[in-house]
Amino acid sequence: MQQQEKPPWWKTDFGPPYFKDLMHPVLKKNYGKWAYHEVIRPGVIKRVAESGDVVYVVRFGTPRLISIYTIRELCDIADKYCDGYLRWTSRHNVEFILTDESKIDDLIKEVEEKVGFPCGGTWDTPRGKYGLTNIIHTQGWIHCHTPAIDASGIVKAIMDELYEYFVDMKLPGLCRISLACCANMCGAVHASDISIVGIHRTPPLVDDDAVRRMCELPSTAAACPTAAIKVKAKEKTLEVDGEKCMYCGNCYTMCPGMPLFDPENDGAAILCAGKVSDARHPPELSKVVVPWVPNEPPRWPTLVEKVKSIFMAWANNAKKHERMVEFIERIGWERFFDLAGLEFSWHLIDDFRVPPFMYASYRVGTQFRW
Amino acid sequence: MSETPLLDQIPDGPWPSFVKEIKKTAEMQDKAVAEGKEIKMPGSARALLKQIEISYKDKKTHWKHGGIVSVVGYGGGVIGRYSDLEDIVPEVHHFHTIRVNMPTGWFYSTKALRQLMDVWEKWGSGITNFHGSTGDIILLGTRSEYLQPCFEDMMKLDPPFDIGGSGSDLRTPSACMGPALCEFACYDTLQVCYDITMEYQNELHRPMWPYKFKFKFSGCPNDCVAAKARADCAVIGTWKDEIQIDQDAVKEYAEWMDIEEEVVKLCPTGAISYDAEKKEIKIDNSNCVRCMHCINKMPKALKPGKERGATVLIGAKAPFVEGAIIGWVAVPFIPADELFDRLCEMAEKIWEWWDDIGKFRERVGELIWRRGIGEFLNVIGQEADVRMIKHPRTNPFMFFKEEELVQSEVVKKLKEKGIKWRSFEYEEEEI
Amino acid sequence: MAEITYTEEDKQKVLEKLDQKTWKIKDLAKVLRMNKKVVQKIVMDLIEEGKAAYWSSGSTTYYATPRYIEEYERRRAEG
Repeated sequence: MQQQEKPPWWKTDFGPPYFKDLMHPVLKKNYGKWAYHEVIRPGVIKRVAESGDVVYVVRFGTPRLISIYTIRELCDIADKYCDGYLRWTSRHNVEFILTDESKIDDLIKEVEEKVGFPCGGTWDTPRGKYGLTNIIHTQGWIHCHTPAIDASGIVKAIMDELYEYFVDMKLPGLCRISLACCANMCGAVHASDISIVGIHRTPPLVDDDAVRRMCELPSTAAACPTAAIKVKAKEKTLEVDGEKCMYCGNCYTMCPGMPLFDPENDGAAILCAGKVSDARHPPELSKVVVPWVPNEPPRWPTLVEKVKSIFMAWANNAKKHERMVEFIERIGWERFFDLAGLEFSWHLIDDFRVPPFMYASYRVGTQFRW
Repeated sequence: MSETPLLDQIPDGPWPSFVKEIKKTAEMQDKAVAEGKEIKMPGSARALLKQIEISYKDKKTHWKHGGIVSVVGYGGGVIGRYSDLEDIVPEVHHFHTIRVNMPTGWFYSTKALRQLMDVWEKWGSGITNFHGSTGDIILLGTRSEYLQPCFEDMMKLDPPFDIGGSGSDLRTPSACMGPALCEFACYDTLQVCYDITMEYQNELHRPMWPYKFKFKFSGCPNDCVAAKARADCAVIGTWKDEIQIDQDAVKEYAEWMDIEEEVVKLCPTGAISYDAEKKEIKIDNSNCVRCMHCINKMPKALKPGKERGATVLIGAKAPFVEGAIIGWVAVPFIPADELFDRLCEMAEKIWEWWDDIGKFRERVGELIWRRGIGEFLNVIGQEADVRMIKHPRTNPFMFFKEEELVQSEVVKKLKEKGIKWRSFEYEEEEI
Repeated sequence: MAEITYTEEDKQKVLEKLDQKTWKIKDLAKVLRMNKKVVQKIVMDLIEEGKAAYWSSGSTTYYATPRYIEEYERRRAEG
């Protein structure tokens, strides 16, 4: 659009709304001046400011995918109880900030009954009583074009199974579960206590007709991170070296004529024992403990069972405050595989090009002495 | 019989269901149409349900990628999708996503939120993600021709909502709730994140780099936005001086907490001691690694020190191609009040270097591996610091700079004869 | 930073290429034997003028003419 055509309201590069304009006045007033917090019951965090002001942050789990009509209902509730303000957390939970303690019960009842979102997802570190928080996840079959698994359906099945740990605080430590529907990991799930990652196990198939109709050959070949795709110029199509392919789906992104789906072979790997917090133990990548489970919609029973047995092996045996990686480092991997009832196989021994040797000596957290 | 027998099994169980959300949208969308509201994507929520049911039956996705961006002046923030079942579900044949830059820290007024929802009721499927993995508001599903008018309606709102990042650009930066709600915040995560977002609007909207670049801001080492695992530039709040102790509050905790067992024994460096008689704790701050465990345990009694700032970790990324990495220490400490300026200075240097020599789809972390940490530290003008490593290198294969070498008479004479000790120029192979 | 300049002829060459396929800046520069920074500037200017546009893989970005992109997307959508 040319300059002269732009209407008076036209603008670009204006960025997000300024956060302080969308913040409850009591938060603005006490900004940077919070004294301490305590979790007074599952899902309710009391935060006390130096000024003596107190707020009650009430947390609810959501399915991440939300209807605009549900958001309007959440707005109605925020108008009624919280002067028209609410916020979301980094793990798909929604939070209402109350200044009146006596309204907590009514608020929870209203959200649970009208919207159907459960109150919980908190942990009380001082008392060593931890709740499970929401699973962060990606789009899956709802909107992704390269998924090996669905996302929302699996998350729903797992959270139904682990629901009691979300609404209560009866775990020994923090447990972050995350899911990415393919190894491109829009969700960056590689540093979680338990992560589920969709994996393809077969290279893309080249549909020559579709490739000719829809695709740019050189761009598609160039998009392959392992140089496994060659242009067959004469035949005006592409060729895949199955030995070199990592099943990332970049070629399918560039060229819809190269689907890499194999419904019977796509599935999920399960990883565990990663973390990002520096508390006690520095950050750590998750490790693969189940190489593959099949897609079993709509409820993924095998996957749910494996996740649950990993989760329970930790929940039943970890010491107070111990996260998955600390727990496993204490008991050893052999004991962990026994406790979780998992089978160890050759797939779990790393034979991929490992990160450069030098990286092993770099610090990845913020645990410094000064 | 139901059209979606597989999806109908999903609302089973207590956890909130995405299927219920889509069904609700479908019903309300029909109602809105019947009421004569202007709805540009009628029937799309129902069609989405139909397509997902087919995916559940086929055990595969039915989306194809589209490269459309289609918002005047911008090169990112829209993710194109086409259904490969266009004959069965024409309502979602085009089903593009718009990423909307969320308010920093995900704080909303209902006024702002309702307006945005009204826009999406008109122009899209009525389905959203709160939020996408990077933090944006995800508006899920509209047609190519509605992208521009939808954005124009967003810019007319009060407050207006802008589009987020995608492609080879600066992705929408995100931050933890920081000083708005948390006593642990060692710097103003929200303000720094907002300022960076505003400073680099051009980089966010007009992709021109080899690949994506992400900033994430956490106020303390607990890292509630998982910056360390996924941001090319993770800014993690920390402090340098002594942990602040309120011994009266320690005594309160001592009433019911086993401080010896749960605080002292779990300190990773044994830097805490507890006097059970006086009910006081002592911290050897020279041996404290500022991991947050004791502060998490006794938030009322212990606080981060007063000399606050942030550590910058560089290079985190997901597995493709060289494997996943957690960001490593690039700058051990920047004082809080210098943070914004120093980050800008550093980011601009990194971007220039990376844009110049980075390969297509090479994240900054991978470029540093390829070129070496020495070159990287030179680029950002950072002195080496022992806090960057777990231990020094175990091999002696070091390269010394010209100025570090001693002038040697022997070599000088040989060189004068025309004998070279470095006989060819190494050239980087281009891929 | 010094102002990057180019000739109208260079701009035309870039524009012609952009009408043939989607490009990465680096490849365009290589094929046209031009400096990458100059090509980047030309492409950004062409976008500003509405003569070039973005094509995105979601994770990475390419450039072509709006005419080419429209046609390319139509083919992709219809399968």
